[in-house]
Amino acid sequence: MSCNTSVTRLCVSSVNEAQRAPVHLTPCEIEHNGPAQVSQYFTATTKNRKQEQTVSFRGRCLRGQELSCPQGYTGLVLKEINKPGSDQEDRTVKVSSVFDKLTYWNLETPPNSDDTVVMAMDWPELAEAIHGPVED
Amino acid sequence: MATKKKRTPNAESDSWVVIAADSVIDTQKHDSDPAFVRLRNPATDEASLYLLGSGDVQLYEVKAFQEDFRSWFIGQAVQRDGKLLFVTPMDPLYLILPYLIKSGKEGKFQPVEQLVVDEEFPACSRLLSCTRSLASLHHVTEEKEVGGRKFHRYSEEKTMSWLKKKVERTVAALRMRNVCVGEGVTSATYVRVKPESDGREEDFLRYAHGLLSEYISEQLSKALLTHLGLPEPSSPKEAEPPSKKRKLSDKPVEAGEDYTKFNSADFARKPPKKMTTAQKSLAKVDKTGMKPMSSFFSPKVKAEKK
Repeated sequence: MSCNTSVTRLCVSSVNEAQRAPVHLTPCEIEHNGPAQVSQYFTATTKNRKQEQTVSFRGRCLRGQELSCPQGYTGLVLKEINKPGSDQEDRTVKVSSVFDKLTYWNLETPPNSDDTVVMAMDWPELAEAIHGPVED
Repeated sequence: MATKKKRTPNAESDSWVVIAADSVIDTQKHDSDPAFVRLRNPATDEASLYLLGSGDVQLYEVKAFQEDFRSWFIGQAVQRDGKLLFVTPMDPLYLILPYLIKSGKEGKFQPVEQLVVDEEFPACSRLLSCTRSLASLHHVTEEKEVGGRKFHRYSEEKTMSWLKKKVERTVAALRMRNVCVGEGVTSATYVRVKPESDGREEDFLRYAHGLLSEYISEQLSKALLTHLGLPEPSSPKEAEPPSKKRKLSDKPVEAGEDYTKFNSADFARKPPKKMTTAQKSLAKVDKTGMKPMSSFFSPKVKAEKK
């Protein structure tokens, strides 16, 4: 059983060294973790038309849209450093990249306001209603 | 494709894409780092992941949004796990409340630091360091002051009116976001409404009650429903989701990953009316169009069992 006493420290000072990276949410699962020539084979071929972007990826037409992080929020990519051997030990994550907007891609369907990730961006506002202080 | 390609199991990721409140990374005020901690989830009674901000002054909820068949490109790298985590400020009182209720059964006034203790989750005492914790205890307890020391006793009556205010705030936010809550849409769903359709008050109340029920015990959730003057849903279809949800949220999470946990499922999105040939063939394997929306609004970020 995992240990409820271990904590994962978020090393905040790492934000200062974090790079801004373009972030794309693909409409497919890619069985890989690690380096890829994203700008050469993906970003380079995207086409911009007004709000919507298109790209051909593995012969499929992807339609994408850029989304900004909600106001007062920042996008962070957290990476674990010095992974411990057991789950009893405390862990540490650092901020490896920051972003203030991301591009999400649908397979053939044009991006629209009912897309999950679009609605997810509304969550902070709803959370504020649920968690904000109530008056006496 | 005649045969479906087998997927390799998703190994534990060591990287997470997060959208976090700016205050999380604000290093000006305190020198200590924020920490992800496991605390007892008030709705499931099991471990969930939360974040305590620098100096423990603010509690944050960690909520995962996930669809099937999604991955990330981050700079010049692929991250297979397409999950998106939100870290949003959370009211610590939701997590403190179960401890107050538990000791409230003894009927005694007690100092709060004696009430909020948990052998299984020692970090729970850190909740009392949150700025808002001590200041908001009076919403759910009766207070007595003796010799400069405060003593508390749980009050269900006060808790109900506190939760009702929470519901009212949430209803107001839902109205502002134009969230569709009415006519066959059950509480935990989430769809944008066309301007002409105007949800009934009861639908908004039920929806807000559903959202809040993610932060309170089932028993309290039922009591709140009565307090709001809402009858228990009568039709079996409506009555099903809460129990189903709770059952599903008890499931252990796959593949050694701390930050996931979703419950499911009151609502399936309608698939697009017209499908292209490609979409039709995809529909056989890709069930994302049918994925219940409520799963994206569940707070259960549960720690896995190893």
